[in-house]
Amino acid sequence: MIVLRAEDVWKRYDDTIVLRGVSLNLKKGETKVIMGPSGAGKTTFLKCLNLLVKPDKGRIWIDGEEITSPKADITRLRQKIGFVFQELNLFHHLTAIGNVMIGLTKVKGMSKSDALKKAKETLKRVHIEEELWRKYPAQLSGGQKQRVAIARALAMDPIVMLYDEPTSALDPGLSSEVLLVIKELSERGITSLIVTHELGFAYEVADEIVVMNRGRIIGGGSPEELRNAKNDEVRNLLNKWNGLKDGVLV
Amino acid sequence: MEFWSEYLSSLLMGFLTTSELVAISAPLGIILGIALGASRVYGGIILGSFARGFSALFRGFPLIVTLFLVFFGLPEIGIYLPPVTSAILSFSLCSGAYISEYVRGAIMSIDQGQSLAAKAIGMTKLQEVLYIILPQAIRRAIYGISNEIVYMIQYSSLAFAIGVQEMYSVARTYNSLYFKSLEIFSLLAVIYLVLTALTTLFFKGLIRKLEIPSKAE
Repeated sequence: MIVLRAEDVWKRYDDTIVLRGVSLNLKKGETKVIMGPSGAGKTTFLKCLNLLVKPDKGRIWIDGEEITSPKADITRLRQKIGFVFQELNLFHHLTAIGNVMIGLTKVKGMSKSDALKKAKETLKRVHIEEELWRKYPAQLSGGQKQRVAIARALAMDPIVMLYDEPTSALDPGLSSEVLLVIKELSERGITSLIVTHELGFAYEVADEIVVMNRGRIIGGGSPEELRNAKNDEVRNLLNKWNGLKDGVLV
Repeated sequence: MEFWSEYLSSLLMGFLTTSELVAISAPLGIILGIALGASRVYGGIILGSFARGFSALFRGFPLIVTLFLVFFGLPEIGIYLPPVTSAILSFSLCSGAYISEYVRGAIMSIDQGQSLAAKAIGMTKLQEVLYIILPQAIRRAIYGISNEIVYMIQYSSLAFAIGVQEMYSVARTYNSLYFKSLEIFSLLAVIYLVLTALTTLFFKGLIRKLEIPSKAE
């Protein structure tokens, strides 16, 4: 069953065409990774999927409902999509648990006690220890912040999680704790679309890897298929990443 | 002794009137300022233009002119307001216009990511502004707001011009009766100083209470 479908998505900023007809399907329980060099349009594409960026052309369906339709209830449909930003966008004025609760109380209309219970469960799920629940974002490490951001999105019970380079703003030492959480969630069947530069992580977690360059999808397949990619453009890109030689980890 | 006893009891009445003016005008001005500041950023063409116009208007001429317009001008179109009400209305409009500038600036300084994150969890624009942007913006604007309220204590003395018996008006009357300018205005100055200091202390406490922890404790 397809839970997220994008068809021929185009986006232009002034004179620069950022997306040139990107199409993608995401099945329930699937983990798909989008890779590509900086400026490939990965983040723009991800933000188009929940209309944080409005595509110029193309259609997007979430759980069978078209979010790009003029009649779409965008705020309701966005609740079905969990989004984790690369910029660690936690709400600065709220504690870790407050960040998770605010969507539950204000958007989902849950009572404070129910929201608190759910927030605690979700924070445990992403391995945020109890002593950190009442800390403010500025008091947390980058990895802790990003795991709280994952919990904030996850608590809304989305049908798909979108991760936009979730470790790019973190020190290498802090990346692993975030990647571990994403991997665990993915293994538990949470449908995920992940933009990342971590090729090793992508090979480990993805059912399918999609490679983007200059606003287009230029190739893709299972990690195994990608390791043996025939497409020169894809192979050249893979060779540039993470000390790879001929598309194979060394 | 008779002078001091009379002066002190009249000054106490004046003090109560000044306190009433500020205690009512300050929250009204703050609420108006927040509404105008938010409207200037999020109000679109109609509401945004109104808020911009309002702010430009009431920052564009002296408070005394507003006081006269409200107290002497409005009766010409059939609206009669008592002196204290006229003063409260004028102070609220004036401080609202200035506070809107602080609030607008503070809203603009909130990084775009906060707004995107609010949208991403399904918040409407109103929820985003009420629960995410304004709580952070008001924390940033509060330094300017506290300054504005301190000014309000000072400019509340202008209410004497429309016959409000506040502290300055009482002092002025006693000075014209007894010509003890040094004693009369020194005491008045001390009271204004105390009021200003207390207000500053109040806002310092509020700022401390609202402060978002920024380092590991």
